[in-house]
Amino acid sequence: MVKKNNRISLIVQEGTLKKIFPDCTIRRFREESLTWTGSVTPSPLSNTYKLKLTYIRNNGIRVYVIEPKPLALAEGKKTLPHVYSTPDQRLCLYYPNRVEWNVGMLYIRTLIPWACEWLCHYELWLCTGTWRGGGIHNETEAEKQANKLKETNDEATRSKK
Amino acid sequence: MLTAEQKKQFSDILEELGKSLDITKEQHDAAVKSYEFVGEWLSAPESNLSPYNPEILPQGSFMLGTMIKPIHDDDELDIDLVCRLEGKRPEWTQYNLKQIVGQRLVNHGTLKRLLKIPDGRRCWTLQYADSAKFHLDILPAIVSSGYRVLLEKSLSASTVDFETLAIRITDKLEINYRMETQPEWWPKSNPFGYGIWFENRAKLLTSELRLMSEAVQPVPKYQTRKLPLQRVVQILKRHRDMMFNGDEDKPISIIITTLAARAYHKETDIIEALLKVVERMSAFIEERYSEKYRKNIKWIGNPVNDTENFADKWPENPQKQENFYKWIKQVKLDLQYAIRQRGLHFIKEALSKPFGENVVAKAFSNYSEKTRLLRENGELKMAASSGMLGSVGTTLKNHNFYGKEEQ
Repeated sequence: MVKKNNRISLIVQEGTLKKIFPDCTIRRFREESLTWTGSVTPSPLSNTYKLKLTYIRNNGIRVYVIEPKPLALAEGKKTLPHVYSTPDQRLCLYYPNRVEWNVGMLYIRTLIPWACEWLCHYELWLCTGTWRGGGIHNETEAEKQANKLKETNDEATRSKK
Repeated sequence: MLTAEQKKQFSDILEELGKSLDITKEQHDAAVKSYEFVGEWLSAPESNLSPYNPEILPQGSFMLGTMIKPIHDDDELDIDLVCRLEGKRPEWTQYNLKQIVGQRLVNHGTLKRLLKIPDGRRCWTLQYADSAKFHLDILPAIVSSGYRVLLEKSLSASTVDFETLAIRITDKLEINYRMETQPEWWPKSNPFGYGIWFENRAKLLTSELRLMSEAVQPVPKYQTRKLPLQRVVQILKRHRDMMFNGDEDKPISIIITTLAARAYHKETDIIEALLKVVERMSAFIEERYSEKYRKNIKWIGNPVNDTENFADKWPENPQKQENFYKWIKQVKLDLQYAIRQRGLHFIKEALSKPFGENVVAKAFSNYSEKTRLLRENGELKMAASSGMLGSVGTTLKNHNFYGKEEQ
């Protein structure tokens, strides 16, 4: 069984994000939603990218690359690796089984560093055309399944409350 | 200008580039096995040479750890070896020594088939089968009987009298080739002295890496870790190979190696070392008056024998000199362009042309693997405010990137 996790308050999420990224922008509506945008340079010699994280209660959490848009693709590729959608540039950062990520975890310790790591491996993917950041490729319907799982995750913690 | 973090990352990438230029362990071991066999054959009891304890040892880039793969996988590695004899029969001339070594090689059926006839100016060449992709250049040489002990001592000594490490070789073009029996009058060479000089230039206080004590063993181990100067020399030689593919008048390795070692100031990271070395290198080319040419000529002295000029071909072949300066200028331009790029893919692009698509791609693949392994081992961290991954900040929790495979 997957252990139920205590949901971290969005106030805490906001505070910890702001502490590590003083220049970021955060919009929060009570405990209902949070949007973070920040610029990151994922490795010393990398380009700078703008990331956006959105959380809407019961609607899951999403991380996007919003600048540059569109992101360049590796030679011969039509889509980005490990994204839910190439046009949206929404990143698939964890295996949606509630163990790797759940609402009991800090964004700043998980999703944000993972997004930076995604960007670093994205640049290396541009170099070689092969994703070497590790991970799991699902076969079909990645997005649907992931969203469903996340919603249940969210509901579960809420009903516990 | 690069920040400290950027230098570190650039050096990590160049380290991978250096590794992808290294010959493989299989190639290394195959070459060692082959020359060990030759050594055993030369020193076997029934051999004319056995009273003089013949020993085959690597010299040149194989000894220095600066050997690189050829541009084309089909091209052969050229392994330089010394066949070192402790003395000789008093009546032997250079010619006799060369022939006796050659005759002993011919006495072995397989070696006979591999032996290239006629012999080279100073060496015998064993041309291995196509699949082995290497040939051995064996330089017969005479040393005094205490040479091995002397060499061992020199390896740990703080100051070395390089002169004592000189060996006597044979040279078909010497006027006394067929007459002179006194080795003191034979041509001199000093590959082991050079090796010790190079090691002293290369070694870092912080490093325990011993190049020479390992390299002068009959069976040197395959080195995976290298010092920054070794990587710098490999990278420079590769650039030369790419720029002058097959050109006879390309800058020669001994010139590149010597100038790089002179210009190296014990920088600990590779990019810093490389940039500084290419900046300073040509300043170590002297001008000396030549009686023969009755004018000043360029002089790149052998560090262990100042009367030898590695650039001695330049006065007769000005193209060589011109090519050297053209090359060093191009290296500077290519490196300056590469370090100005931001975005790892742009850096990869910038390195691909001067160093070769394949080795650079391999270097970036390995670099990616390493980055992933760091995170999997819990050693990758994200720095505050920039989100930069490295050794400081928030440790990355393990996770799996998910989602469809890219198309």
